[in-house]
Order: sequence, then structure tokens, then C-alpha cells
Amino acid sequence: MYGGGYLFEKTSLDLLADEDQEKLAEFEARIDRGEKIEPHDWMPKLYRRQLIRMIEQHAHSEIIGALPEGTWITRAPGFKRKLGLMAKVQDEVGHAQLLYSAAETLGKSREEMIDDLLSGRSKYSNIFNYPAYTWADSCFISWLVDAGAIVNQVANSKGSYGPYCRALERICIEEAFHLKFGHHAVTWLATGTPKQKKMMQEALNRWWYPMLQFFGPPDKESAHSEVLMRWKVKILSNDETRQQWLDMYVPKIWELGLTIPDDKLKKNEETGKWEYTEPDWDEFVKVINGDGPCNKERLAVRKTAEKRGEWVRKAILATSPSKEYVTPLA
Amino acid sequence: MIALLDPRLKRLSLQKDDLPAKENLDQLPTYEVFVQVKEPRPFKHEGCVHASTPTMALVFAKEQYSRRGTCSGIWVVATKDIMVTGYSDNATDIYGRFTETANCQGDEYSIFHMVKRGTQHSFAGVVKAASPQAALACAGKTLPRKKPVLNVWLTKTANILKTTEEDKAMWATTPEKLFREAIDYKTQEKIKAFKENH
Amino acid sequence: MNIDAIKDLAYKMADDQLIIGHRHSEWIGLGPLLEEDIAFASKAQDKVGQSLAFYKLLEALGGQDPDTLAFGRTAAGFHNAIFAELPNGEFDFSIIRHFLFDTAEFIRFEMLAASAYQGFSNLGKKFKGEVQYHILHANEWLQQLGNSDDKTIARMQNTLDYALPYALGVFEPSKWEEALLAEGIFAGERELQARWEERVHAALKQTGLTLPSLTTVEPVYGGRYGQHSEHLQPLLDEMGEVINSEPGAEW
Ligand SMILES: [Fe+2]
Ligand SMILES: [Fe+2]
Ligand SMILES: [Fe+2]
Repeated sequence: MYGGGYLFEKTSLDLLADEDQEKLAEFEARIDRGEKIEPHDWMPKLYRRQLIRMIEQHAHSEIIGALPEGTWITRAPGFKRKLGLMAKVQDEVGHAQLLYSAAETLGKSREEMIDDLLSGRSKYSNIFNYPAYTWADSCFISWLVDAGAIVNQVANSKGSYGPYCRALERICIEEAFHLKFGHHAVTWLATGTPKQKKMMQEALNRWWYPMLQFFGPPDKESAHSEVLMRWKVKILSNDETRQQWLDMYVPKIWELGLTIPDDKLKKNEETGKWEYTEPDWDEFVKVINGDGPCNKERLAVRKTAEKRGEWVRKAILATSPSKEYVTPLA
Repeated sequence: MIALLDPRLKRLSLQKDDLPAKENLDQLPTYEVFVQVKEPRPFKHEGCVHASTPTMALVFAKEQYSRRGTCSGIWVVATKDIMVTGYSDNATDIYGRFTETANCQGDEYSIFHMVKRGTQHSFAGVVKAASPQAALACAGKTLPRKKPVLNVWLTKTANILKTTEEDKAMWATTPEKLFREAIDYKTQEKIKAFKENH
Repeated sequence: MNIDAIKDLAYKMADDQLIIGHRHSEWIGLGPLLEEDIAFASKAQDKVGQSLAFYKLLEALGGQDPDTLAFGRTAAGFHNAIFAELPNGEFDFSIIRHFLFDTAEFIRFEMLAASAYQGFSNLGKKFKGEVQYHILHANEWLQQLGNSDDKTIARMQNTLDYALPYALGVFEPSKWEEALLAEGIFAGERELQARWEERVHAALKQTGLTLPSLTTVEPVYGGRYGQHSEHLQPLLDEMGEVINSEPGAEW
């Protein structure tokens, strides 16, 4: 899962001036015709760099995203939830695997990417830096955070880079299960006993504003270069994805008798747009930069996994008939 | 740090400090994975796995690329053992570039085709040849194709590790794992009943 | 047929799978490489799914519903081998346990497939393929770690030696051994252990590990009839924490 809060490098157009202008024109014409770019095609350096950065952030968000829901794996109530949650978190790890592979085709090895995550050089989605206090938090994530991710992933699957699009197509099929699993679990809580209902409402109150932040800062404040849109690296703007999500899910939340902690929230019938209280964007910046409630824990957990697994990887590398790493094909 | 919430983590001692910089990254080689969803459909490329041996690659590929629906077989090949041609322009068959006369005898090569950008490579058949270059020429002559081929992958068939007839039992219950499917989580009735009572 | 004998065996199977499935699930998201996380997650789902099938069988024999059976008993009512409930420890123990335990499991399913009791023979046949994958996974890891450098082999040998008494505990004599044999329901724990020793020996022979003479190993019994280690009850509390927090609620 991942939100619109991708962090791109400042697009230095100097990089583009160095490129072979004829090849650049061909490359852009291919994208304009709606054809995909494949790994062994010529591509501008800037395109390669921004794609690696975006896909890598997406992949990191999947493995870090497995942690808050992982909190509830051993405690999921009953067989149906236990099996569903294990399968769901497994899928998220699988998504990370697929996305790292897609980024690897652009020439950065998975180990380099994981190293950049662990050292803090590379970012992931802000929302996973919040704690899942109760079972209901886990259900909120499964349904509504994943719903947000889907809006983004469906859009990005229409992007220009073949391997990323193929990974996203697989991912979107699995996300359909996550969404239904999450909705089912939230429905059972919201329509359950008063205690269950309260648990669900409290989780919703906790997650509402991080969820609005998930899609990234308002368009007027996030100066994404026009070139990323033209190259179909970024497809929808942050506000577009946020509006789509509000449009699809606010009615479904209300339908379950839950309330949203924002008196100003309403759809403006004239503009067709949702109006809402802005989340705290200073907090967003703080959390993205490492200072959220769980940032340190999330990285500590990944470092622990890395350290515990190190002897295993070294041991099997030692017996591997071929240690030669070459860039995956597609 | 707020108190750990995951009981699984409470049982571990967490790594709070930075890890020492690695001298060498423990990067395993990759294997490309081809899956046959059901017979007699062609094996299709699905992605790669990181693994230390071909058997380990098969073990990993099974759960990463065939944990839903049906599957009748998986092939894995070390990425380094696959050769890749360039891309032709749309509507031109890439085999137009490999027209030299070749003696179609020698090792067996397996050939995979991409017919449209953005789609996966599919198994197209085998040829015998003395070199990869000759294999391309032989494939161009002998492999049937309905559409122009844009890109070809080829590898010696001996490089491919394939699941066996006996292995098929491993997928016997996969389609029954409905807990992995959206269809198993129906909410309509519950919501309808809830609305009627409120 | 002897229903008590059938139930006794069904409880063993169900509780074994449930508990080891939960242990496996502790690796999800935390494994040594992403692909292995995914593989372990599948095995966890398979085990928990298999336990559910055996609880359903018990329900059909007049027991409570699977959720109550699985999450409503205390340790004294559990029939799993102690081996299954031990904490995961590090990856070497998880793999050694997985290999020793699933080898027994695989044979048990083979034996069940031949059961005169149809409830068992159906499940034995049904899950044979799943366990076949688990064995493939366990054996490949055993081969790789057991043939790696000296340090790794020593580490694995240590763990094997530690695990064996618990592994033998899987074959704790059954109160119903004679009845199960007499009616052709199950060929018995002794037969199972003999076949297991053969296969474990064969797999280990292809590695740098050695199997000590098993007659010198004292089995850790007790789990089959409710005598568990200190690790089971806390795990059960955890598994039941949410579902038991609001009796009668649906989750
Ligand atoms: Fe995901
Ligand atoms: Fe997700
Ligand atoms: Fe998801």
C-alpha cells in the first residue's frame, strides 16, 4: 500500500539538457502513444532516478506497512479473522517483493534499497508510523488505508513503466481481497455490541487525520514537476486521490453508523468536491522526517529482522552454486 | 518510543542502534519465474525471486506466484542464464533481424516471446541449435506466431528447473483457500439488517 | 467405531496444527528474506487451516464449534506435543523444528489417508499435497544450512541436539493405541516413529549433521494429555485475548 505522499527529487532540468534530444523525443512520443517503456529501452536519467525513488518508497511502505497489522496476527479473533489477516499481511510482504523487483530492473539492487531504508536515507508512507492500539485499528488499516492505497495504485497501473504497471496489476487484484476483508471486519465491529462499536469509533477517530495526510500535501503546496505527469510517472495529483477516496468511502463509513471527527466535512454540491478540516501539515512533515510516534520502532523492527537474518543469508550465499547477481529482466 | 504493542516483538530484543555498515551487501542472485495456470496454457513470466539454489527458487516461487487459483506447473531459470534480444518497433517482427542460415541441430533452447509492450513473456517453444544466435535464426524459421514478436528471451532448456507431475499435488487445495479471496467476505446482508434496525 | 479413540487422535492433530501454525505466523514480516516470510506465512495458513478441518470434524462428532474449541480451553485441555508450543527462537530452531515436526506430520497424514475411518481418510488425502510442499521447503533449508560453512553446521547440530527430546515427544504413547490399531483407524504412534526415524535419518545423511543414537535420547512427554511447558498458557491467552474479551460477540 502507498499514498500520494511520494517524495520526488527536485527535478533538475539540467539533467534533461544533457540528454540526446533525438532519443528523448522518441521516448516521449512512445509515452504519448500510450506504449509502455520496458527495462532495456533507452530512457532519460531523470526518469530512471525518479522511478527508482518512487517504486522503492512504495516497496518500503509495503514491508513497513506489514508491521502495524502484524501487531494483531497472533491475537486476531477466531479462525476467519486469523486466516484472513495472515493472508493479508503476507500479501503486503509479497507486494514489497514485487515492487523491489520492479525497481531492481532499473538497476538498483534490493539489498541497496533495504540498506537505504534501514539507514533512513529513503522514505516510506507516513501512516505506518502510527500505532495500532486495538484490533479495531488493524481493521481500519485493512479497509480504509488499503482503500486509499488502491486509489493510487489503480491510477499508477496506467503509468508508463512496464514492470511497475505489471506489478501493480497483480497487486490490485490482491487489494480487492484486502478491501473486502477490511470492510467485513469493520462492519462486524460497527454493527456489533456497544463495546465493539466503541472500539471501532475510537480507532476511526485516531486514524482520520493521518488518513487525510496519507494522500500527501495539498496540490498548491506540492510542486511536482509537470514533467513527471507528462512522463506518466505520477498520474493523479494528491488532491485528486484524496477526493476520490472521500467520495467512495465517506458514505460507506456513515452507513455503518460511525461518525467522522470533523464537523466541517461535507460535499459541496456545486463544486462536487468534499470540504474538510485540513490535517496538521506540520505534523506530516515531522513524521515523514522521522519524528512520529512509531518511526523509531518501525525501523528498529526492520533492523532486528535484518540482523537476525544475516547469518542465514550469509550461510546460503556460501553454498550457492552461483553468487552472481545480475539485474532482473522484467 | 511508545511501548511495543506487538506481542511477537515483545519476545525479541529489538535492535535500537544503527547496524554497522556492511562491507558486502548479502545480495542473493535472482531467478526468473514462469507459471502455467492450467494445462495446456503456455508458461508465462510472472517475476523473479531471490534465492540461493534453483530448488529454493522453486520453493519460493510457489508461494509468491501461485498462492491463489489454479496452477499446473512452475519453471525457474537463473536470470544470468537468459539471453535477451532488443525490441523491434511495433508491428515489425524481431525475427527479421535474425535471418542468417543456421544448422538447427545441437543443444535445445527454450524460447519466450513478448508480443506487446507492457505484457509478459510467454513460452513459445523449443529449437535445437549450436549457439544462441543460431537458436534465434532457427526459432524465426520454425516457431508459429500469430502476431509480430517484439522481444525474445532464450535459454538452454537444461538451465530450467521444472516442477514434476508429482509436484502438482502441492496445488490441490489452493483453489479452496477462500479466505484469500474477496468473495468470502460478504457484507450486504449484515448492513441491510443493521439499517433496518436503526 | 471407537469414538473416544477417534476424538483423542483428532484433538492431537487439531491442537498440533493450531499451535505450530500460530508459532509460524510469528515470522510473518520478520523473516530472514522476503521470499521466506511469504513461504512461512503460507505454512502458517495451511496449519491453521488444517486445524480448523480437524475441529470441524470434532464438532461433527458432537463437540463445540471450532472457535470455542480452539480459543476457549486452557493449557490443561490441550493435546499438542510440547514441541509445537516452544517459542520460535532463532531461524535455526524454527527450521529444525519445522523439519522434524513436518516429517512426522507428513507420515501421519499418509497413515490417515489409509484409515478405516472416513473422516480421517478424507482429510489425510486432502492435505497430503500441502504437507508435501512443507516437506520440500523444510528439506531444502535443511540441505542448505546443513551443508554450509562449519560455523553454520555446528549451529544447526547444536539445535538438532536440543530439539530431539521434544521431537520424540510427538510420539508420546496414546491411551488408545490398541483400539486405533485394532479397528484400522490409525497404524499407531510406534509405527509412526519408526517410519519417521527412517526418513529423518535419510535426510540428515545428505548433510553435515549427525543424528545421535535415539535410544539415548529421553523424550519429553506430557503434552498429549495436558502436561505442558510454561510457554503454552501465555500463547493461549494471547490467541484468545480479543475473542474472549466480549463473550457472545461476533467478530
Ligand atoms: Fe499492498
Ligand atoms: Fe497495503
Ligand atoms: Fe493491501
